[in-house]
Amino acid sequence: MSSVSQELKDTSVASSKWLDAHYDPVANLYTFSSCIALSDLHGDGENKLVAGDLGTGVCNMKLKVYHGTGLLSESTLLDLPTGMVSFLMDLHEPRTPAIAVASGPFIYVYKNLRPYFKFTLPSLEVNPLEQDVWSQAKEDMIDPMTLKEMLEGLRDKAEIPLSVRSLRFLMLEPQEMEDFVLLHKEQPIRRQTVITCIGTLKKNMADEDAVSCLVIGTENGDVYILDPEAFTILYKMSLPSTPNLMDVTGQFDVEFRITVACRNGNIYILRRDSPKPKYCIELSSHPVGLVRMGKNVVVGCSHETLHGYTQKGKKLWTAYLPAPVTTMALMDLPTRGFQAVLVGLANCEVHMYRDKNLVSTIKTPDVVTSICFGRYGREDGTLIMTTKGGGLIVKILKRTAVFEDRDSAPGPPIAQSIRLNVPKKTKLYVDQTLRERENAVAMHRAFQMDLSRLRLAAARAYVKALESSLTPMSASLTEPLKMNAVVQGLGPSFKLTLNIQNTAACRPVMNLAISFLYDENLYSMRTAFFKIPLLVPGLNYPIDTFVECLSDKGISDIIKVFVLREGKSAPLLTAHINMPVSEGLALN
Amino acid sequence: MKTDVQLPAATDLKKPRPKKAPELPILERRNWLIHLHYIRKDYETCKAIIKEQLHETQGMCEYAVYVQALIMRLEGKIQQSLELFQSCAILNPKSSDNLKQVARSLFLLGKHKAAIEVYNEAARLNQKDWEISHNLGVCYIYTKDFRSAEEQLNLALQLNKHDLTYMMLGKIHLLQGDTEKAIDVYKSAVEYVSIHNLTFKHTCFILYTMLLGKYQKAFEHLGNALTYDPNNFKAILAAGSMMQTHGDYDVAMNKYRVAAYSVPESPPLWNNIGMCFFGKKKYVAAISCLKRANYLSPFDWKILYNLGLVHLTMQQYASAFHFLSAAINLRPRMSELYMLLAVALTNLDDADNARRSYEQAVQLDESNLLVNLNFAVFLYNQGDKKAALLQFQEMERKVNTQVDSNINTEFDPELVEMAQKLGAALQAGENLYWSKPGKDSKSSQRSSSSKPSSSQQPLGTNQALGQAMSSAAGYSKSMQITAGAEP
Repeated sequence: MSSVSQELKDTSVASSKWLDAHYDPVANLYTFSSCIALSDLHGDGENKLVAGDLGTGVCNMKLKVYHGTGLLSESTLLDLPTGMVSFLMDLHEPRTPAIAVASGPFIYVYKNLRPYFKFTLPSLEVNPLEQDVWSQAKEDMIDPMTLKEMLEGLRDKAEIPLSVRSLRFLMLEPQEMEDFVLLHKEQPIRRQTVITCIGTLKKNMADEDAVSCLVIGTENGDVYILDPEAFTILYKMSLPSTPNLMDVTGQFDVEFRITVACRNGNIYILRRDSPKPKYCIELSSHPVGLVRMGKNVVVGCSHETLHGYTQKGKKLWTAYLPAPVTTMALMDLPTRGFQAVLVGLANCEVHMYRDKNLVSTIKTPDVVTSICFGRYGREDGTLIMTTKGGGLIVKILKRTAVFEDRDSAPGPPIAQSIRLNVPKKTKLYVDQTLRERENAVAMHRAFQMDLSRLRLAAARAYVKALESSLTPMSASLTEPLKMNAVVQGLGPSFKLTLNIQNTAACRPVMNLAISFLYDENLYSMRTAFFKIPLLVPGLNYPIDTFVECLSDKGISDIIKVFVLREGKSAPLLTAHINMPVSEGLALN
Repeated sequence: MKTDVQLPAATDLKKPRPKKAPELPILERRNWLIHLHYIRKDYETCKAIIKEQLHETQGMCEYAVYVQALIMRLEGKIQQSLELFQSCAILNPKSSDNLKQVARSLFLLGKHKAAIEVYNEAARLNQKDWEISHNLGVCYIYTKDFRSAEEQLNLALQLNKHDLTYMMLGKIHLLQGDTEKAIDVYKSAVEYVSIHNLTFKHTCFILYTMLLGKYQKAFEHLGNALTYDPNNFKAILAAGSMMQTHGDYDVAMNKYRVAAYSVPESPPLWNNIGMCFFGKKKYVAAISCLKRANYLSPFDWKILYNLGLVHLTMQQYASAFHFLSAAINLRPRMSELYMLLAVALTNLDDADNARRSYEQAVQLDESNLLVNLNFAVFLYNQGDKKAALLQFQEMERKVNTQVDSNINTEFDPELVEMAQKLGAALQAGENLYWSKPGKDSKSSQRSSSSKPSSSQQPLGTNQALGQAMSSAAGYSKSMQITAGAEP
């Protein structure tokens, strides 16, 4: 409603705000905002786009580097990239940033696009009991079945979960166990977790080109800060749930703040000097995007909402979105002092929010899955987006573009000015109204008169039916019966089935008979009169008989069925069966 | 589960190679990717990844099974999702999350008792979970165990002051007919809930004030709520009907236009729009809208009542008779309906039935002056002065009790005028409240909302009919407020 015209206006304005620099719908990029970065990889002052491509999701994972409109280089990754950051790890000249790609339990560090270092997450603590059991198995003190029982006991009680090996072992069929134990028993047991998100934190200076630490979140809910040169763990913190989005600000040596959105739908804020979360924001739905804007945190939720919080977890505002959020990114133009949040939506739009106000909308040809804004090549205001279908979009912000910061809820909604759809009345209606006004009394009387007549006619018909037992339901209290009749066959012989049911609660009915009345010139029946057995209440009694049609003129008649009680002449029930025309004879 | 019996993963194929044990893949390695697609609502991709992951881990990946179950539940396959959640609970018996989801699925399947059991089990694993206590409370409501429900909801409130819990608790009290406790709940909800959840806060406040009967305050808050969420249908309907009560038809219509855009097929909305037109004396439009409302909800007696009323105004007495008798069939114990029917019958020259209808109305009525006044006028016109006087005195009695107990000290000026005329004709009514000097002027000041009275007419039924209508319009509107504001 209100957004319709607003959108139209916005797109026309927005199209003048951005230059379409490049669009490749078949760039074959499957990636997320966490896996793309803009970085001056060669120290030549030109920023390249680095993207961790998930390939097919199973194989063909690549680290791709774009420059201008073309692919500069491509190197194979061993596993799915979870996150990727570009960071300066030392003070050596030239100051070329390194690329850290997190995948599985490892971080692969690339310098000059060459593999440089591989960091492995420390193993998790292994259950000592599990260790014991396996060492016993190693010395062949216990057979695989005992091992299985003991491990099962451990799984159900232990505080520390079992290792992958034990879990896998428990899944095996008995005949496979022996081999599995032989194969694995020599190896030490390890429990490994994986990285789920990665970020950077300046070590001790706030400069743009200061050395940064890596901050990683893991599947089991830990957050590590790594030394930039030695890749040792400087600091470890733990969360109640698995982190999935992360924002880091501050300097490691001074004061820092890590905002982490977790899988349980909460956002935790970690600070220096406390290994546990300092603040917690409970969201009503899962966070999909997390962006820090100045001192506030903007969260996009899966319930099509955008919330603003202070860094202490106090809620500031909520904006409602027209479609689910797919990704979010910060748009920062320090030269102009402009900051906004870019929100990719599932309806092929990218909305730009300043606080709770929508300042601009960009239409995209496909659903955007990742957004990155920054310096690309030598252009400061470049917006890079990748789409669900694998496309790559590059737009450049016009230098003349101005974003008005207006309140998004100005005055009454537009629907207020839409005319109400009141049904029109015809001339005929008006005429009838006038007629009614003049003759209301006569109309009313006529109506009442006819109504009374109708009621009378209905009552008469009803009484007549009752009197002559024409109804298919018996009205008598002693023999409450129900009957229906079915005619089968094409003729000349028909099968007539009468379904009789005693509807009394518990009393059986006896001494009933059935007789038929029909035109003997037209039909003949083998038995036109027979007795009915005792009728048990509730059961359905189908009674079959055969009728022969004698005429070949294609005419039909009514057969009347009477249910009689012995010693009474008035029937209990009457049914009129409209016989079909005999088609069999007509064919002959 | 199907995935359990799939072929062994690639790692096992390498087995013949001696000594060097293969690296077993980490079960959780793709959890992040599953989660990422799940929260982006990209369920198709998500399902593909889950399938892959379950194949690789032979159904051991707890999170993959968990998300698969969540997606299935979203797709309406509740029974299947329940089974998957149960297998999650076997994979990780220590997680209260899995049990919570099992219970949730049971709840959705309508097995409230079983859900309560599982929630209790989950509560044993995680004592301080707001969600468990709240959902337990909701389950207890469905099993009609209000005491336990109240207990659990209060427990939930101790853990976390969530809006939903307040709403549920208020609902329990209302269900039990304990208005005072409900007021307390809404009051504390207004105090505790963070100021940022304005819509909720307003809902609570409105309910709270409406329960107290402070309509003016409730109206102010409705207005506030509308500034934050101008498209909220319920708030529009409630605010609009309040405006209508005050005769602010144009503003109310503006609001209704917004509502009609978002919910074009709401019977109460079209009823209210119809009565707005009626208030603006656009009778044909009123009939159109009311007929649409009646079409959308044929068994709503309020709409039929209003249709009857509008047709009476249009002097279409025969049609009015039909609508009113339909309304009476749906709601046989309302005196105003019988009164209107009597008015229609009077105009249809059916004095006997009109009298019977009036008698029924008087018998059912408790406090409405109009019933007696209209009956008195009718009797007077029929020439039965004695009976008319009786009805007039009955009306006087009602007026006096109302004034004495301060329920109502301002009367509709048209009613007053009529009563005075009738009083003069019957030589009665000197001791009436409004006949005392000084009060009269006060009561006539408040004529803004009611329709300007038509030109002086001799004592006749038409005048009394006008009375009946204005009150009926007001009545139906006030009924609408409660209907609209219910959460």
